[in-house]
Amino acid sequence: MKTLKTIAIGSASALAVAATVNAQADDTLRVGVIGPTSGVFSFFGEQQRMGVELAIEELGDEVAGYNLEVEFYDSQGDAEVTVDQLRAMDSRDDVDIVVGPVLGGTGLAGLEWASGSGVPTVISYSAPEDITMRDRVENVVRAGWTGAQPMFAFGEYVAEELGHEDIVMVGQDYAFPYDQLGGFMRGFCAAGGNSVERIWHPTDTADYSSILATLPQGDAVLYNGAGSDGLAFFEQYRDFGMHERMPLLGGSNFYAVGDLPEMGEAAKGGVSALQYAEGLETDNFIAFRDAFWEMHGEDTMPLAPAEHGYVALKMAVGAVDESGSLDRDAIISALRDTEMEDAPRGPFHLDEYGNPVQNIYINEVKEVDGRLKNVPIKTYEEVSQFGPYDAEEYMASEPYSRDFPPSDCSDDFYQQ
Amino acid sequence: MKRETLVILGVVAGLLVWLLVAGDYAVSRTNRAMIYALMALSFSVLAGRLGWFSLCQTTLAGVSGYVVAILGAQHGLPYAVVIPAAILTSMLFAVVFGVLTVRARAVSFLMLTLALGQMVWALSFQWVGLTGGYNGISGVRLPMVLGFNLNDPRVFYVLLATCTVLIFLAVHRFYNSRFGLLLLGIQENEQRMRALGHPVYLARFAAFVLAGAIAGVAGVFLVYDMGIMSPSPLSLNQAVLVLTAAVLGGYRTVWGPALGAGILITLQTGVAQYTDRHMMVVGAVLALCILLMPRGLSEFSWKSLVRGRRATTSST
Repeated sequence: MKTLKTIAIGSASALAVAATVNAQADDTLRVGVIGPTSGVFSFFGEQQRMGVELAIEELGDEVAGYNLEVEFYDSQGDAEVTVDQLRAMDSRDDVDIVVGPVLGGTGLAGLEWASGSGVPTVISYSAPEDITMRDRVENVVRAGWTGAQPMFAFGEYVAEELGHEDIVMVGQDYAFPYDQLGGFMRGFCAAGGNSVERIWHPTDTADYSSILATLPQGDAVLYNGAGSDGLAFFEQYRDFGMHERMPLLGGSNFYAVGDLPEMGEAAKGGVSALQYAEGLETDNFIAFRDAFWEMHGEDTMPLAPAEHGYVALKMAVGAVDESGSLDRDAIISALRDTEMEDAPRGPFHLDEYGNPVQNIYINEVKEVDGRLKNVPIKTYEEVSQFGPYDAEEYMASEPYSRDFPPSDCSDDFYQQ
Repeated sequence: MKRETLVILGVVAGLLVWLLVAGDYAVSRTNRAMIYALMALSFSVLAGRLGWFSLCQTTLAGVSGYVVAILGAQHGLPYAVVIPAAILTSMLFAVVFGVLTVRARAVSFLMLTLALGQMVWALSFQWVGLTGGYNGISGVRLPMVLGFNLNDPRVFYVLLATCTVLIFLAVHRFYNSRFGLLLLGIQENEQRMRALGHPVYLARFAAFVLAGAIAGVAGVFLVYDMGIMSPSPLSLNQAVLVLTAAVLGGYRTVWGPALGAGILITLQTGVAQYTDRHMMVVGAVLALCILLMPRGLSEFSWKSLVRGRRATTSST
């Protein structure tokens, strides 16, 4: 009897799942937004959510003759959960367009799912190159960036304008920082840099004393990471008095995403590069920022993940508006033709691989109106994910990794 | 015997009906539930027969997932090579882990498997050249066979359900075999079994490798189900999820793990639709279940609930 009872309980719970599947009518444009709204990366997901909410408010309930319905899904920053949630969007909730994911690994999981399901997808903050390069698929475009994209310009700036020749890089040991360093090395070496010493540490390292005590001498240190690791490194770097010997440069997320309030005054003068800056003074940006503050309060600064979520939703809705239908192919081809002259970050359009060609800002941390901000001090216009390089040649070279590209600028790799 | 056949027929019929009535999403969730049922079974073989609570069964599943991803998706080897290689690699890891853990008892076994599991998890993060690190390896697909796309959730369901039922049946037979009884005997009284001349360590070791093989099969299905292999299935969260499923359903019985996995996935799926705080609801349900039914749902009976704690302890 026990087994029979087991089966009875089992089928009862199974029916509960079946009951959650319901049919929906189709005069509604359904957009599913996925990002890590819980877990250690929830900062990024929350920013995206706030940006998307602002875009929804601006667009209203009805767009292009459809009722706009936006649903948020939590990826928990986990690839497996991401795939599950995306599946739920497609087969349970009948979503027409996906916005997100936000993080690197979840972005690749999203790409994998999108290539199988064919659902039009606008990747927001997630930056692995191959989403719009070697593994690109027709129905996936990106509203954000690739890890290397802002760093071509940054490498060039560090060598040319700051005149540094030898850099010591300390970075988190995973794919995103590899991409960032890859872009940096290319720009840096091409502009007359000499070498970059690299030191990788595992993520979630709290104590950097062993690294700092044996740090090689160079012209500057580049911290290639972010989050709690970045904050801990920043503080210990100063505790060791290293900032008096070598200036501290930042990877794209170091000064720009989230840690600045905790770093405080000491961060002033810190230089990094991104396709976004909260210190922009353009009309488009200020309108965006003020609307964001009105909605979410002035304590929360809209940062790049918020803007990318905002833009991604506008791209999605714009594509439906353009194509006038919910036909997937029509939406995809309209998405691929995206041109946004009035984006808060500055104008951009997508390249033929589906990644934005956009401004890259060299930012310096300054105090503006009693608030620390990344203020653009130099703008590189129309930078693509390939930087100044030929797309096919770029993709033919091996993907960035722990040890690639080479640390020495005299290597053959840089002489092409 | 008759009843057993009846139950099997009932389960098969239930699975078939489910395939016909359930929507795509419900089917894909059921697939996930079956995969976790296999992992929970792998856990229960050790927990129920030997009193060994292992936190590395998901690691063994993850290892086989990585083998499928690396050999299949990256090197394009044929499926007939990739899948056996994956399960064998899981067993090989189980052999190594087994050598290290076979003499350990309760808590030290738990800690050892935790340490080994976390080592492999860390390795999967950091050995980027092999595993792709945090980004993982994508593009893991099943082929078309006889005009059926095996990646389709419904076709995949048929494949997975068949394997799951067969494996559960095999384990059912195994529990009632001489070897299965020997394991129970070892759990009850190791000294006596040794005195009777049974090779205690060898038996334990064999059970560990067997559990590893089941985990390996689960890993193969998991990676094909997700299409991508990343470190997340190897994380401690997943190990705890599998442990929870087994304890909830009852790890002493054969069907308990399947029941636990089913309920857990149903809870996650159902509750997550309505609130972001779904883990709190799941936690509350779990706490209640364990308070009221310490031996798991599959061994639940009204009598024990009425008579209280004495009945449940006396039958241990």
